[in-house]
This record gives sequence, C-alpha cells and structure tokens, in this order.
Amino acid sequence: MPPIIDKNQCIACGICVNICPQDVFFGSKRKKVPKITYPEECWHCNACVLDCPQEGAIRLRIPSPMLICHK
Amino acid sequence: MNEKTVETDVLCVGGGIAGLMAAIRAREVGARVVLADKANTLRSGSAGTGCDHFRAYIPEFHGPDMEPVVQEVHHSQAGWTRTREFVRTWMERSFEIVKLWDGWGIPMKYKGRWEFAGHTFPGRPFTALKYSGQNLKPILTREARKRGVEIINRMMVFDLLREGGIIGAIGVDTRADRLITFLAKSVVLGTGGCVRLYPATTPGWMFNRADSPHTTGDGRAMAYRAGAELVNMEIPMRWAGPKYFARCGKGTWVGVLRDPQDRPVGPFGKKPNRRYGDPISDSYKSLFEDYTRSGKGPVYMDCRSISPEDYQYMMYWMSHEGNTGLLGHLKEQGIDLRKNPVEFMTYEMTTRGGIYFNHQAETSLKGLYAAGDEYFGGASCAATFGWIAGENAAHHAKNIKRRTIRQWKSVEKKKAFLDEIRERETGETWEEVNIALNQTMADYAGSTRYESLLEAGTRHLQRLKKKARGNLMAKNQHELMHCLEVLNLLDIGEVIFAAVREREETRDKVARLDYPFTNPMLDGKILIFKKKGNKPVTEWREVKG
Repeated sequence: MPPIIDKNQCIACGICVNICPQDVFFGSKRKKVPKITYPEECWHCNACVLDCPQEGAIRLRIPSPMLICHK
Repeated sequence: MNEKTVETDVLCVGGGIAGLMAAIRAREVGARVVLADKANTLRSGSAGTGCDHFRAYIPEFHGPDMEPVVQEVHHSQAGWTRTREFVRTWMERSFEIVKLWDGWGIPMKYKGRWEFAGHTFPGRPFTALKYSGQNLKPILTREARKRGVEIINRMMVFDLLREGGIIGAIGVDTRADRLITFLAKSVVLGTGGCVRLYPATTPGWMFNRADSPHTTGDGRAMAYRAGAELVNMEIPMRWAGPKYFARCGKGTWVGVLRDPQDRPVGPFGKKPNRRYGDPISDSYKSLFEDYTRSGKGPVYMDCRSISPEDYQYMMYWMSHEGNTGLLGHLKEQGIDLRKNPVEFMTYEMTTRGGIYFNHQAETSLKGLYAAGDEYFGGASCAATFGWIAGENAAHHAKNIKRRTIRQWKSVEKKKAFLDEIRERETGETWEEVNIALNQTMADYAGSTRYESLLEAGTRHLQRLKKKARGNLMAKNQHELMHCLEVLNLLDIGEVIFAAVREREETRDKVARLDYPFTNPMLDGKILIFKKKGNKPVTEWREVKG
C-alpha cells in the first residue's frame, strides 16, 4: 500500500509528513524517515511525490483494486 | 487533554479555496483572522493538488454582455437550486478573482490568452476558464500568511459555540492531546463536501473516492447542530470518471465516450475535440451505470485518433487538474490513452445540498458565513464566495463587542465526551461505524427511494447513531478525528433521510418510486431543513429571481 519511501534516498525533511491531507504519516518523528501508519487511508493525491525535494525518494504504489479497466 | 482559548475577530474553519480566500479578504479589511484546517492548507481540500476549470465571465473574451454567461452557468451548474441573483453575483465578481489569482502567480492564462474549454455543449457559451492550478494551495497559503492570517493546521473544528448568536467554535488537535476553544465575532465555514457518506467504488474500502475523503461534511453538521438552515439535502449528486481509480476531472479528458462497438453514446461529437471533450457525461452522469445495467455497457473514454498537439494539451491539463497520481498509474501500467480506451463508471452518491447561504455568503445565523462546497459550486464559486464571506465576516466583526463565554458548561460537556472516546478500551472503531453508515445510506436512501424503505432506514440509522455515541473509541488523536467525522456524517445522513421523505415527488435526479410524478406545486421551491430545539423542521421556500 502506498506511499513507498526509499530509505536510502529520503533526507528526512518532513515535508510529506507536514502536508499529507490524510495524515497517513501520523506519529512520524522529526528528522527521521517518515513511517506510514495509515497506508489504507492514502487517497493517492500525489502531494507527497510532487513536493518531495529528493526525486525518487517517495513514490505511490497503486493497489490492485484501483487498476484502471481499459481496452 | 490540554486546553487553550484563542480569541479572534474572524475564525475561518477549513483551509481550502473558500477558507483561504475568506481569510485573506477578512485580513485585508482589517480583521484579526485565525484559520483552522483539519489537515494542512498547503495541500488540503478538493483542490489540494490542483484544479483546471474556473467558471468565469471575462469581458475581453465574452464581450460586454454578461447575461448569456449568467444564464449558461445558472443552467449548467446551479440549475433550479440557486437564485439568479446568486449566479449573477458570482459571475460579476469572478473576473476580479481571476485577476487576483493571476497576480499572485496562479497562471490563469494559457500561452498568453484566455483559454476556455471543457464542460461546454457545442453552440453554447463557454464558461469554464482553463487555468494552471497545480500549486494554487501553496500560493493561497503564502498570500494568507503574508497578510498576517494565523493558520492552525491539524486542527479539526467540530462544533460551533452559540449563546444567542455565534460566539466561536471548538476544535481538537488531530496529532496532539489538545483542545482549543475559539472565541470569534464571525465564523466562516468552508470545510468542503461530504465524501464518506455512501459506499466507495471498492467494496470495504473508504478512501477510493472521486473527491478528497477527508472532507466529511463537518461544516454542514456543525451548522445544523447550531440551528443554521440546510438546503436541498435530498438532491443526490454523482460524479463519473475512470474505473476503478476514482477521480474527478472528466471535463479534462479529450476523447469520445463510446460503447463496446465503438459507437458514440452521446450526440455531441464523433472525434476527440479539445474544446468540448465529451459533455454527455456532464448532463448524464449516471450514464455509465445505466448502460452497464441495461446490457449495453461498458462505456469507454476513447482518446484514440487524438492529434499529438491535443494529446500534449490533455496531459498538461490533467496534471493541473490534480491528476498526477492517475497519470503515474497509467504510465506504470503501460496504458497509453492514444491506444487504449479507458472504461468510465458512475461513482457513488453524495448530497448536492448543504448549508444555505445567499449571494452575500450569509447563512441563516447572524455572524455565520459559508462558502465553497458547503453547498456545491466548484472552485470558482468557492473562490468568489470565500472572498465575499471574508469581506462580510470582517465588516460584521467590527460591530461586535469582545466575545466571552458565559456557559462554559457546554464546552466541558463536549470535552468530557471526547475524553470518554479516548479512554474507552473496548467498543466500536470509527471504521465499523462509517461502513455501517455507508451500507445504510446505499440500501435505504440510495437510488431506490420510497416511504416504507426510508422509514426503516431512518430507524436503523438512529440506532446506529445512539450506539456510536456510547461506544466509539479512539486510541489516538487521529482516530478521534475520524470518530468526530463519523458522528458528523451520521447527523448528515439523518437529515438526508428526513429531507428525502419530505420531497414527495420525482424531479430531475430526485426519484421516488412511490411518487413517480413531478408536483407542480413545488415548482421553483427549495427544501429548507433546520433544527429548532431538538426537533428538525422543514420549510418549502420560493426561489426568487
């Protein structure tokens, strides 16, 4: 379940923790790699990815029930 | 729980487009302003990561006559539920807001010109201005801070305080054990829509929603409990979009909606057209569900044969409509819109109705203002009436003396209720109550509506509510926030049941199996709903103008 943080790339700036509208990072500690406490509450709005200063440090994994149906 | 009292002239509840615009304007008029947001104003609300359509009258584009635009917006967006005076004020003030936003760094022009496209029927006036809204929230937040608005993030305001008039509100920190009592001369509500009322696209999941699932009708519920009028709560609203990635923004797609044999399902176009998209889903949002149920589905958004320029155009606007998450998913799965038609679906129901507010953003209670999706209107409506709400709330505050609370008892009672939820070791989680509410709404006040079913549903919902109030538990402040959201949704659910039962007719999208006719006696009337004492009262009111 999303989001997924690459611990090696994350600089623990806390921006994603600060902005997440659903607060999936609830309980994260300052200057530590964020923990994803409520993954099932992610809306996949992508705010954390858009505002992350370290490209590639955070990404969304879209869960299978949301796979888009197409021809 | 730690307690604190915050005094201000104007309290803005909710930091979406409406709340931030209200806060900015109220500060400009000279009021002290505090804004409380349940999340963080940088990315909260329905426009958190963007929006690309702004209903507006632009004299340079439309010419000197505003009336055709007023008429079109009235017809397409507000319908018979809003007065022409309201829509006229909206359009009159819209250009002023467009210029403000452009000046603040939200690009309202595309390649140096006013660009209108989408949500328009061929031959009708264009009303939806395209704008690059991906970063509108950080920009509005910056403008609010620049003017000295005090923003308190992660603060869920859940009840208004009233002693005669509105004297403030009470809120709970969603991360720390902290309760704030706000004393304010005016309050502006801008908490958004009610998203988690009906079951979501994916069974058992609550967060796969077209609109942000953290907008849970908090404003409507607290306004109702304080005695403010709600309106049109019985009118359902549905969105449509890609299946199964629930997301708004269908007006941004440049394609044709087609059946499995590639026949267009609407009469508006046969080839992808960047000006119009396919507006059939604007006037017929349950199309996808109806096609599927009647053996003709599924229906696809078909962007094949789109020109390379139009494809770039669509992708650019998708990213500004807040759909970068969706675009990332398409890319990762190798779904190419130039080759793969994407199935569309009709999403779940919610209510179109909300807090009654007039063209001055005044609710029925003195000192209480509302804007934005407190009563559906979209981004431009939120921006314009947020601005007007802030202006009037600040003027109102000037004539009010300093607020004090005489009856601290009511605050103590609310605090004790929160403590009970936090201290309970066994009981109901917010999830189970929310799911129970979802199934009750869908089964008893869904697309099939008639009296005996509604009566049974009302009974069940009232039992759920009573049970929840005595059993909800939360192991931290985040869960406490969800518990309060669910209690708000239960109140709104109850109002919806009562309002549906009151409208004994079928009109537009409001269908009753036991009253399959339109009652001409209700033409031009709206249904008002409010609490008097502990009893709900209803009133049919003429929509003038």
